[in-house]
Amino acid sequence: MSSRALSQPRSLKLTSAGFLLLWCIAAAFPILWITVMSVKSPVDAFDGNALNVIFGPATLAAGQGISVLDIILWMFSLWGAFILTARVAPRMVTSYAPPKALWLGWMIAIAVLFIGAIVWFFSIFPGLSDNLSPWLGPLGRDGIGFTTEHYKTVWVERGFFNNFQNSLIVTVGVVTISLSVGTLAGYGLARSGSTLAFWILIIALIFRALPHSVLVAGYLPVFISSAEWLAPILGENAPTLYGKPWAVIAVLVAINQPFTIWMLRSFFQNIPADLDEAARVDGCSHFQAFRRVIMPVMWPGVITTGLFSFLLGYNDFLVTSLLLDAQNQTMVPAIAGMFNRETTTTDQVVAVAAAVSITAPLFILVMVFQRQIVSGLTAGAVKG
Amino acid sequence: MNFRTFAAFVGPSIVMMLLFIAFPLISVFTQSFYITQPIYEVVEVETCTPGFLTQTCVTEENSVPILDEHGEIVTKTEFVGLQSYRNVLELDRVWTAFREGSWTAFQTIDFWKALRFTLTFTLITLPLNLGVGLGIALMINNAAKSIRGPVIFISLLPFIITPVIGALSINWLFRGDGILTAIMEWYSGRDIALFAQAWTIEILMMLYRVWHVAPFAGIVLYAGLQTVNQDSLESALIDGASRWQRMRYVIIPHLMPLITFISMIHLMDSYRVFEEIVGFSSQGHVISLQWLTYDFLVPDQAGNRSISRASASAMLTMVGIVILLIAPLRRTWRDHKGSN
Amino acid sequence: MKFRSLLLAGAVAMSAGAAFADCAYENTTPLTSLSAGFEAWKAVTDAMAECGNFTASLDQEFREKQPEAFAANPSLYQIGGVANATLIPLLNAGSIRPLDDLIATYGQNLTPNQMIQIDGTTYAIAMAVNAQHLMYRTDILADLNLEVPTTYAEVLAAAQVIRDAGVVEYPLGGTFKTGWNLGEEFVNMYLGEGGEFFADGNMPAINNPQGIAALETLLAMTEFMDPEYLVSDSTYVQQQFQQGKIAMANLWATRAAAMNDEAESEVVGLVGMASAPMGSAAPASSLWWDGIVLAANMTDEEAEAAFQVALEGIDNEMVAANNDTAVWLVSGYQPGELAAGAAGTAQNGAVPYPASGPMGIMHTELGNGLADYLNGNKDAATALADIEAAYITAAQEAGLIQ
Repeated sequence: MSSRALSQPRSLKLTSAGFLLLWCIAAAFPILWITVMSVKSPVDAFDGNALNVIFGPATLAAGQGISVLDIILWMFSLWGAFILTARVAPRMVTSYAPPKALWLGWMIAIAVLFIGAIVWFFSIFPGLSDNLSPWLGPLGRDGIGFTTEHYKTVWVERGFFNNFQNSLIVTVGVVTISLSVGTLAGYGLARSGSTLAFWILIIALIFRALPHSVLVAGYLPVFISSAEWLAPILGENAPTLYGKPWAVIAVLVAINQPFTIWMLRSFFQNIPADLDEAARVDGCSHFQAFRRVIMPVMWPGVITTGLFSFLLGYNDFLVTSLLLDAQNQTMVPAIAGMFNRETTTTDQVVAVAAAVSITAPLFILVMVFQRQIVSGLTAGAVKG
Repeated sequence: MNFRTFAAFVGPSIVMMLLFIAFPLISVFTQSFYITQPIYEVVEVETCTPGFLTQTCVTEENSVPILDEHGEIVTKTEFVGLQSYRNVLELDRVWTAFREGSWTAFQTIDFWKALRFTLTFTLITLPLNLGVGLGIALMINNAAKSIRGPVIFISLLPFIITPVIGALSINWLFRGDGILTAIMEWYSGRDIALFAQAWTIEILMMLYRVWHVAPFAGIVLYAGLQTVNQDSLESALIDGASRWQRMRYVIIPHLMPLITFISMIHLMDSYRVFEEIVGFSSQGHVISLQWLTYDFLVPDQAGNRSISRASASAMLTMVGIVILLIAPLRRTWRDHKGSN
Repeated sequence: MKFRSLLLAGAVAMSAGAAFADCAYENTTPLTSLSAGFEAWKAVTDAMAECGNFTASLDQEFREKQPEAFAANPSLYQIGGVANATLIPLLNAGSIRPLDDLIATYGQNLTPNQMIQIDGTTYAIAMAVNAQHLMYRTDILADLNLEVPTTYAEVLAAAQVIRDAGVVEYPLGGTFKTGWNLGEEFVNMYLGEGGEFFADGNMPAINNPQGIAALETLLAMTEFMDPEYLVSDSTYVQQQFQQGKIAMANLWATRAAAMNDEAESEVVGLVGMASAPMGSAAPASSLWWDGIVLAANMTDEEAEAAFQVALEGIDNEMVAANNDTAVWLVSGYQPGELAAGAAGTAQNGAVPYPASGPMGIMHTELGNGLADYLNGNKDAATALADIEAAYITAAQEAGLIQ
């Protein structure tokens, strides 16, 4: 707030800060807590006593723990890694690499960082930890139960990497197609004041309100038997749609279209129509005007909308669980499967570790795009 | 913009929506008036199944569907008019319950039980979502510039977390002696079972939903706060408006379009509440309309599914959402007329 | 943190996954299977994969996908995993093939007990049976000088004693989660009372004294259970047992091994297995089997390969490696102490689960409708009458009742 007259009394500021702190705790607690659970043995993870879950006595008794020294070393390494990648590396690249070969500079930087990380975490770190521990007495002894075995089970034994790849394919597909189709439609709807455009928007809104399970259950028989009913059109090569990632991408894009075109339409409405009309006066067609004038200024809105498409594709359960088979299953149905099969408590903690793993990319995504989300929304991607 | 250009821009999107939303929807609509069923014949069958040590064989009369010469099940499709709607609505039972004046009896009829919960859920979480969202927006706006980044990041966590995972983590936190229940028990000194009765589950589900969606409202409104006209705020101040009055007469009107937008999205999303029912396994106590449709649709272990009733219940759900959306839609219509 | 050992362990796990164990039949035909995802299936499909060219879909939605996938031509999967109930839709649609010729050629090691026969034709090969039976804490019962209960009256009496003694807060556990689990509890109890589910023409027949007796027993049990019983599934009850929170439960035989799992159980060696408690006619339990079927819509060559791979999956080497995962029907299975409950239940005359098309609907309606009785919203007779009405509506829609 610019004006001093608008400044607030201290009591109000404190109350506001207090509530904000409370909210942040409420927002972060469940995720933090399942992260803690995921590094404990099953007995500790589901213990009724909160302290047992945090300190993990049973995990420690099984010989798996972490000392205060390790924690400090860990925090130091993570902080160092962050500084090196986010601050030092970009500066080094821009100052040392020739401007023409910037990408080469980045490749070298990434390679160096990667090798550095391996050397540090697998050679220097354990060496430091092993050699320093005896000197530090209680600080060097394992004090808190900590085990990575559940992550190992998920990623190595359960082949979760395969699910990760499938999620990546589906999500990238949904975001790209959804945005390309949606940007065009959003622009068309924003620039056409016709009643037809209005009704398209209203019908899209009603489509958005539809319960998904109604639609999705209808797809299954059609998708499974598609080789038979497509045969008259496509002949021998008629594909079975069931189990094909691109079929799922198409479904998710369609389900996501109503929201996408609404968001992008309001965003384009905030870009003055004079801008592209001027281009048209200069002899551009609508498409040329769109490409030359609109595309350069539309990115904040597209990134914001893209994030929502990303969340939809990445988090979807209903469509992916029904239309993909186990070979190309994405992460969410895979995790739900881990819970719903006849599980043991160990399986449950493994699933918790998978749940934490699946949240990590979302973390990074929001960290990277956070500023763009807010600026995109501020620029008017949503206007009712 | 002439029609051809317009069609070229909008075409791909329309085709996608027609293929994957409109056609299934039309087929759901027609299916709600028809019943398709296999034709059964009763035959005597001897079935032998393994026991623990020896086989057990039973001979009994079974209903077996008739197969045609291609080995496909012969089915017949029959127009039944509104029969499926009647089967979902169970109006005779409603009438009986009404005559007896028994709310409990009324609330044991699936559709009405689901409708009651869906509406309560939608209408209670709507103001909560807006309130909490606005609160978050104002608090972030109040915070020092330097901490806004991290605070926005943390605030967005509940929104981005995978819904299935979110519901599961709530389960771990509250179910049985889950950690938060344990803390509440320790604090109150009483035995607390949150999943043992309907009202506690309902409160949990609503809190979870608000926790999950309020960050979205918060961020949208925070973005809106960035564009509040400082001049009108200051002139309001000069006119002697109190903090509350500035809020009421300057800020809220400025945010109004956003509030409508959030309300509309929220109405649509909470009206089709489903993940909470599955995640909290609340079927024994409360169910929602989409869950009811889903339950009709999912085949039982022997492969029977009630497609016609599912279609009817889906159509009834749609009628509800259209009614809820009439108010915001009329506003859009007025805007549209106004802008032409 | 022992990073080197961690890395090493990872490498070992990877190489073990890649190595082919010995399989008597070397498969060259690409084959896939679709089945449920629980431990026994994992063991069996892993053993099948040793023959090469085989991928397994362990899918929690298999119930929904299987009928459609097997009806496609050619079938999307060659091998299917089914149980009593999930066999019905495949059998009705004629999408699984008779196995008698294949058994005559390759099935020398199968026992007659493994054959699932319809009018003398074998359609499925069973690999394991499962049933719910009584698990109890031997130490608690011994401390209080209680006999192992054999009827539900005794179970309830023992529960009262245990609670009065203050050993555990909730003496009983039960898989009462609304839906399939709760339906199964009623089915067990009703079979224990000697009830019949259907009259002529697939009409429902559960609103009778046996039905009411079954319901009353269920309600009496909830008195001694964690009040959150309507959300407890088998995994949850198993966990309650492992954490020592309950003393008795009628639980699936496949859960028995978890009680002695040192990594997660606090009651290792303290859980005894006995026959399911008796109702007035039979043990309150039903016998289930899991088995393998082959799709009809594939070539005979594929079927031969699929059958041989399937047999490798349920051979005695697999059983030797996974002896306690299930109550196997395969020769070479060593029933240990943990199988005593299932054996006792069978000996006392438990009947197979009465799987059929109408039963599928009945089970669903029971699972959805019983909560109103346990919650106190309806009395027993009304609850049963309403379930019968719901069944009739659904069965008419499915064409099972005219």
